[in-house]
Amino acid sequence: MDDEQVMLNVRAGDLGKLELLFDRHHRALFRYFLHLTSNRAVSEDLVQEVFFRILKYRHTYQPGTRFCAWMFQVGRNVHMDHAVRHRAEVAMPERGWDVRSPDMPPDRQAQSRQEAALLRRALAAMPPEKREVLVMSRFLDLKYEEIASVLKCETGAVKVRVYRALRELSDRFFALCGERAS
Amino acid sequence: MICERVREQIPECLAGRLESAARERLVAHLETCPACRAELAELNAVWRGLGSLPELEPDPAMRARFLEVLEAYQAGRASGLGQVVGPPHPRWLARAGWPAALSFALLVVGVFLGHYATQPRGASPEIAQLQGQVESLRQLVTLSLLQEQSPSSRLRGVTYSYQMAQPDAQVEQALLYAVNHDANVNVRLSAVDAIEKYAANPRIRRALADALPVQDSPLVQIALVDLLVQLNDKETAPALRKLAQDAQADNQVRQHAGWAIQRMEVSQ
Repeated sequence: MDDEQVMLNVRAGDLGKLELLFDRHHRALFRYFLHLTSNRAVSEDLVQEVFFRILKYRHTYQPGTRFCAWMFQVGRNVHMDHAVRHRAEVAMPERGWDVRSPDMPPDRQAQSRQEAALLRRALAAMPPEKREVLVMSRFLDLKYEEIASVLKCETGAVKVRVYRALRELSDRFFALCGERAS
Repeated sequence: MICERVREQIPECLAGRLESAARERLVAHLETCPACRAELAELNAVWRGLGSLPELEPDPAMRARFLEVLEAYQAGRASGLGQVVGPPHPRWLARAGWPAALSFALLVVGVFLGHYATQPRGASPEIAQLQGQVESLRQLVTLSLLQEQSPSSRLRGVTYSYQMAQPDAQVEQALLYAVNHDANVNVRLSAVDAIEKYAANPRIRRALADALPVQDSPLVQIALVDLLVQLNDKETAPALRKLAQDAQADNQVRQHAGWAIQRMEVSQ
């Protein structure tokens, strides 16, 4: 059964079906929040909030709407509410995020770890709206049409925003690499 | 201009989502434009770097927490005792911690109560005593959950409060505190719904009206306005009027407060 049909069942009162949607999507939501907040505990709480809001406002889901797009819209609102309350900067954790590829030689592993740390720092320093569009495009694998639906803008605008965000991330990353090298 | 349009397509190309015709045009341009080739190489390095960042997995306990909230919500929708006396859910037993222990105690008392309630005899002192125990345990669970650090636990506390058969002064105060001070918008929204049960008390209705200007969430303000309209207490109309004229308030909230005043004037 596809997400949309499951959500229609939830909307009609079969609340237990929400468990299925949670199983399918809580990891993607968690990744989304983790990239926005860099805080595991906060991200887990925000995921819970999203599903609670889906439960509470299930009647606002409109038939024909892509569930993922609607869910990320709810997620966006949840994150905005959180951000208003906690206007703190994003602090990237240095521990617990190790690069993959255990087969690499040790010196290459050290270099990769360093590059990953700089990339994470560059991403964390991005303005939130640019970081968000990049996260949706790169980590959540959402199509531009879906991102446009979440951000309530034209698909063409998403294309430009993703490019500009990636451009800025690249500038920030290579600037940090230069700082490190000097 | 051509370069700018081409570069905007680079992320789509790197994600493998560019249509074949557009991809061919991009490749044709790259063959003749060293600057765009350099751009592609640089962005590709960053794009690949993002892909190699590790992805943390959420705590498996998250699922259990979600199911607790879901169950509590469903239980809150259904009316009182029947839900508690029913058979324990298999997942319920798997979860540890004091709320589970308290819930188990509640279940045991509930089962005894159910057993007595099915007897042909009328009410007995034992039943009255057990009812009192059930109510005390519900109060204890509700108040304890409302003081938890985690928003989802506090949400469970709010939904658990629906199972209180009789209004309870301590739960009433805890819910009012949640409406006014909880850091989490969802907990505040749920507390607004839950406190309706206590709204026969004029003091609570005044407290809800007083909460209107101090709320920083338009969602909570709108929920409070809806509740005040439903309660239709003319004593709360000045607070709504003030909100409707508050230039600092959210535009939708102001409009909603104006609508609320009209509704209350029509119905009185």
